[in-house]
Amino acid sequence: MNKLMGLAAGLMLGTTLAFSAAIADDNVTISWQMWTGSDADTAVWQHLADMVHQKYPNITVTLQTSSWNDYWTKLPVLAASNQLADIVSMQSLRTPNFYQIMEPLDAYVDKDKFDKTAFLPSIMDGMSAGGKLYGLPYDVGPWVIFYNKDKFDAAGIGQPANGWSMDDFNAAAKKLSGNGSYGFGATPDLFPQWVTASGASYIKADGSVDFTQPDVVKAAEGFAGLVGDKIAPAIPAGSDPGDFVQGRFASGNVAMYVDGPWSIITQKQTVKFKLGIAPLPVGPNGEAVTAGSGFGIAAASQHKDEAWKAIQVITSPEAETYLAENGRALPARVAQQGAWFDVAAKDVTGAKDSLTYAMGHSKPYPIGNNWNTVENLMTQYLPLALAGSEPAAKTMQTIQSLATQQ
Amino acid sequence: MATTTIPIAETTARASRRRSMSREQTRAAFLFLLPSLLGFLAFMLFPLIASFLLGFTNWQLIAPPKFVAFDNYIRLFTADPTFYRILFNTLAYTVEYLVLNIIISLGLAVWISSVKRGQRWYRLIFFLPTFTPMIAVSVVWVLIFSPDGLLDYVLSGLPFHTPNLLLSPDLAMQAVVIVSLWAGVGYNMVLFNAALDLVPKTYLEAAKIDGATAWQRFWRIRLPLISPTIFFGTVMTAITALQVFDNIYTMTHGGPGVATATLGFQIYQYGFGNYLMGYASALCWVMFIMIMGLTGLQFWLQKKWVSYDV
Repeated sequence: MNKLMGLAAGLMLGTTLAFSAAIADDNVTISWQMWTGSDADTAVWQHLADMVHQKYPNITVTLQTSSWNDYWTKLPVLAASNQLADIVSMQSLRTPNFYQIMEPLDAYVDKDKFDKTAFLPSIMDGMSAGGKLYGLPYDVGPWVIFYNKDKFDAAGIGQPANGWSMDDFNAAAKKLSGNGSYGFGATPDLFPQWVTASGASYIKADGSVDFTQPDVVKAAEGFAGLVGDKIAPAIPAGSDPGDFVQGRFASGNVAMYVDGPWSIITQKQTVKFKLGIAPLPVGPNGEAVTAGSGFGIAAASQHKDEAWKAIQVITSPEAETYLAENGRALPARVAQQGAWFDVAAKDVTGAKDSLTYAMGHSKPYPIGNNWNTVENLMTQYLPLALAGSEPAAKTMQTIQSLATQQ
Repeated sequence: MATTTIPIAETTARASRRRSMSREQTRAAFLFLLPSLLGFLAFMLFPLIASFLLGFTNWQLIAPPKFVAFDNYIRLFTADPTFYRILFNTLAYTVEYLVLNIIISLGLAVWISSVKRGQRWYRLIFFLPTFTPMIAVSVVWVLIFSPDGLLDYVLSGLPFHTPNLLLSPDLAMQAVVIVSLWAGVGYNMVLFNAALDLVPKTYLEAAKIDGATAWQRFWRIRLPLISPTIFFGTVMTAITALQVFDNIYTMTHGGPGVATATLGFQIYQYGFGNYLMGYASALCWVMFIMIMGLTGLQFWLQKKWVSYDV
């Protein structure tokens, strides 16, 4: 009986294997790993996966999503256990950490005479490491201020001018604060952008970080001062401070916070008030920072040719127009950027003007070695300075000593 | 049992039958145990050995590991500025949580066993948090504890200033302890309550007749009789407390600063947050040996206070 069953099972397995082997010649299923922030977000990526199947009926793309934070926890683990998806999503800030697990695309670009010039050059740099291209970008975006237009109107504050200073910002935020409400939401993960915008630099010439430079410490004191002056709420060191501030923004408790063009899709569905966008305020010599994301091919993929076809589809002009119209991404393709302004950001005050200005006045997000560690240290230790438990200078020293130690 | 007049041949035959019988039984027992044995090998022993070996490498996930001998351990004990603080946090949390948990759950158990009506309902109510997922519990408590949250609102009615639990590096661990207690007391309570119910009524009645007060009956009769259960509860609670992770991950992420970073959280942070798997593995083994040592100590100490003669 047992033997018989075993035989039957074996036969069945054999035929399935033979069967799937026969199918494999034509039909290929490839996987795609992507981060997502909401159901609306996931639906957009699924649409892109379906676009691949429409263009190449023999290729099926299965989408695997995780939240932003979890994505970066899972990615190296999956790579180490050889279970990486065929298509890997990558953010420009993290390319230097992860390019080893991806396939250089230069040979494919040359072979197909793929037009690289349609993309914004700065984000093509962001998708490259060591002179090689590792991903085709879908979006680009400078960090900007999202604000509650209703609260601005009530306080009699107009659209902030392009290039407004940190002092202008502080004055506006102060006006918007009081009675349990806050003008601004300052999160620890935002700190590096804040330092760069205020004109300081935490990166030394050799690429290592230095958070103890006087300019950086001064920026940290200013940043902590936002909470001290009750312009921004104190935020505990939790797993996702960004969620905390976005929740307060949506409920009308916080009037401004820092985000990027990729969040319009989520914010437009969440907030009940009129949304506005302004560029980041800058100090003397300060600049806003920009980053972007794209899709590459896993070095260990068994279906690299199909993955190459797929990433061309999901970064095609049609795909990027779709992403733009849905407010998910400000396209990395210059020709398609208009769709974001005209459709997604149509009802958002100051969106076009601020974004156009910000793109012309920003530089790539400066990152050091082991940036992941540095980001984790920010989330864990900056709340000490923000809550006023210790001087900002001391927090900077702690972060510096732990960042260089690990 | 058997009579004394059985011929030798028959005895040996019977013995060998018994032997083969037992061999057969052993095989059956082995087959029945196989699933959990395989589980143990795959999910316990193999990772244990793997992490031991990885502790001597600098594995960072995306590059192949390189052998570094004792570097991780040397760095841990001599160079890492947070290690001893993390060790202290873990022990402080364990002691505080363990003592409070045993006192509260024992108190609740005694109280419930004296309740005349609706014992079952009280047991259920206090046991509910035990089968509620810790992550969900922590998320709700974070909302209560968060700055300008419910607790701050309630405490703002007090005449004196109260610092926010999650923002203060001195009090953040207390927030974690409160949530752990809320979630963890029910399990021991049910355990102790069941043990108290098993204490023979006759003992208590006899003591009562002899003039023992309620206090004496508790300390001299009930407590010694349930001491094996208390011992079990203490050991298990201590082990889970030393491994605490999920509520710290959700509530404080080890912060502010290093105020609530425990061994369990720091292993995750090093391994999956900073991608330092080799270093995290070394820390794992420090935790493993520490828990083993402390559990051994508890077993040694039980001779002094646990009585098994009922």
